[in-house]
Amino acid sequence: MSVAAEPAAEQQRKSSLARWGRPALGLLLPLGLALGWELAVRTGLSNGRLVPPPSRIYAELDELARSGELLRHVTATLLRVAAGFGLGTVIGTLLGAIAGYSTLVRRLIDPSLQGMRAVPSIAWIPLFILWLGIFETSKVALIAVGVFFPIYLGVMGAVMSVDRKIVEVGRIFRLPGTQMVRRILLPAVLPSYVIALRSGLGLGWMFVIAAEFMGASEGLGYLLIDGQQLGKPAEIVAAILAFAVLGKITDWIVVGITAPFLRWEDRFNTQAGES
Amino acid sequence: MLELERVGKTYPNGVHALDAVSFSVGPGEIVAIVGGSGCGKSTLLRAISGLDTPSQGRVLLDGEPVTQPHEKIGIIFQEPRLLPWLTVAGNVGFGLEDRPRAERNERVATALARVGLTDKAGMWPRELSGGQAQRVAIARALVPRPGVLLLDEPFSALDAFTRVDLQDHLLDLWADLRPTLILVTHDVDEAVVLADRIMVMRPRPGRIFDEIAAELPRPRDRQSAAFDFVKRRVLAALDRSLQRAKTVDDTETKADAGAALWW
Repeated sequence: MSVAAEPAAEQQRKSSLARWGRPALGLLLPLGLALGWELAVRTGLSNGRLVPPPSRIYAELDELARSGELLRHVTATLLRVAAGFGLGTVIGTLLGAIAGYSTLVRRLIDPSLQGMRAVPSIAWIPLFILWLGIFETSKVALIAVGVFFPIYLGVMGAVMSVDRKIVEVGRIFRLPGTQMVRRILLPAVLPSYVIALRSGLGLGWMFVIAAEFMGASEGLGYLLIDGQQLGKPAEIVAAILAFAVLGKITDWIVVGITAPFLRWEDRFNTQAGES
Repeated sequence: MLELERVGKTYPNGVHALDAVSFSVGPGEIVAIVGGSGCGKSTLLRAISGLDTPSQGRVLLDGEPVTQPHEKIGIIFQEPRLLPWLTVAGNVGFGLEDRPRAERNERVATALARVGLTDKAGMWPRELSGGQAQRVAIARALVPRPGVLLLDEPFSALDAFTRVDLQDHLLDLWADLRPTLILVTHDVDEAVVLADRIMVMRPRPGRIFDEIAAELPRPRDRQSAAFDFVKRRVLAALDRSLQRAKTVDDTETKADAGAALWW
């Protein structure tokens, strides 16, 4: 009895270690550095004026949060990313799917799009401001351009590389076009699509700063510029931390929403994780 | 009744893969097609399945030409080709999407029981062994009750034990509905165990070289002399089809086999 119980208990201990211990390992380095710097400033080794210690950043964040400023800036940035990401995703998915499916369309549009992709997207800013004004529209357009390319490329590549052998299974069962898309092509491209969405989202966060740098009265990018102009490094670091947290959370949301559809995936780490 | 009328196939790159192949297969008959590699066996099967259209001639099923995949014709490929995003049960029921759920579930359950994989119904294809995956593929092809089932070297990727096991299993399943089976293989043993008739093909361009009847009683004993006799005839025909040195003369084989039978 006790012989049987012991390995079970040990296994449970091991799995709880796996659940909490491994992510904690990744916190060791940033926490260690933060603690070290805090100590260095406290002991007077550095005055911490240009590189604020964690306590000062925390105080800054706390103040921003209390005054409601943080929420206002975060909301403004999040809305821009959401609008730009949504727009870029819809257009990128549509064009990518069509270009992947039809050789004719690919020959028609792909060279132009690849040419445009070679233009650094920041270069569009002056044009967008002239065309769309200095307010939200031009910002959303810029983010959408940034999001568009990785998604377009990802979807096109995924559709083009769907296994002919799997498509033949659909043909043998005489699936009509719509069912072929729904039951064969969509599930087949989903894993690459999720990766494309995630890299698109990452670029969306990158471009929102560029957009907010070009003149905004609110948003995390504004907070960065404000901190620079007023010489408040703690505000800059606080904004950077907010970006990191938001970026990670939105990425988790994309992964979390799509995970149930990808349980079938045959990846080396899922099997290791399950057993 | 499946009929092939002078079916030929020339690929766009100019390769003449198949030249005027004609034969007919009656309902419930099992025909094996053997031949060296590159003799157009798979091309022939793809033409029958409607996945490819022949450049010349036509394929007729019960008098109607087959130009695209047909609901009465099923195919089992060399690889299982299961859809990795569907469970085993989902894969087996793939061709029954338009049926009511209750009927679909019942037919899937029956088919899975028939191939001995009831306990694997909820698993993902990646969790199956090669033999199990091919059994799922067989169940998937049989569930819509095809009149003709095509098999393209279905067991060639499996180990010898699993292969023999699945050959017996296939015959067992065939006995339920007695569809026409057309089996492409390069395994002569497999052809003799399964088929009523064995077509030997010859390459460049692919055409029928010889036809050998294998009228042995079922179940067939792989060790019997009669089995060995048919097998030798097929091997001799294969040798001649490849225009190798004529080591085995047909008359000699017959005499040899006669002696074996007498024994």
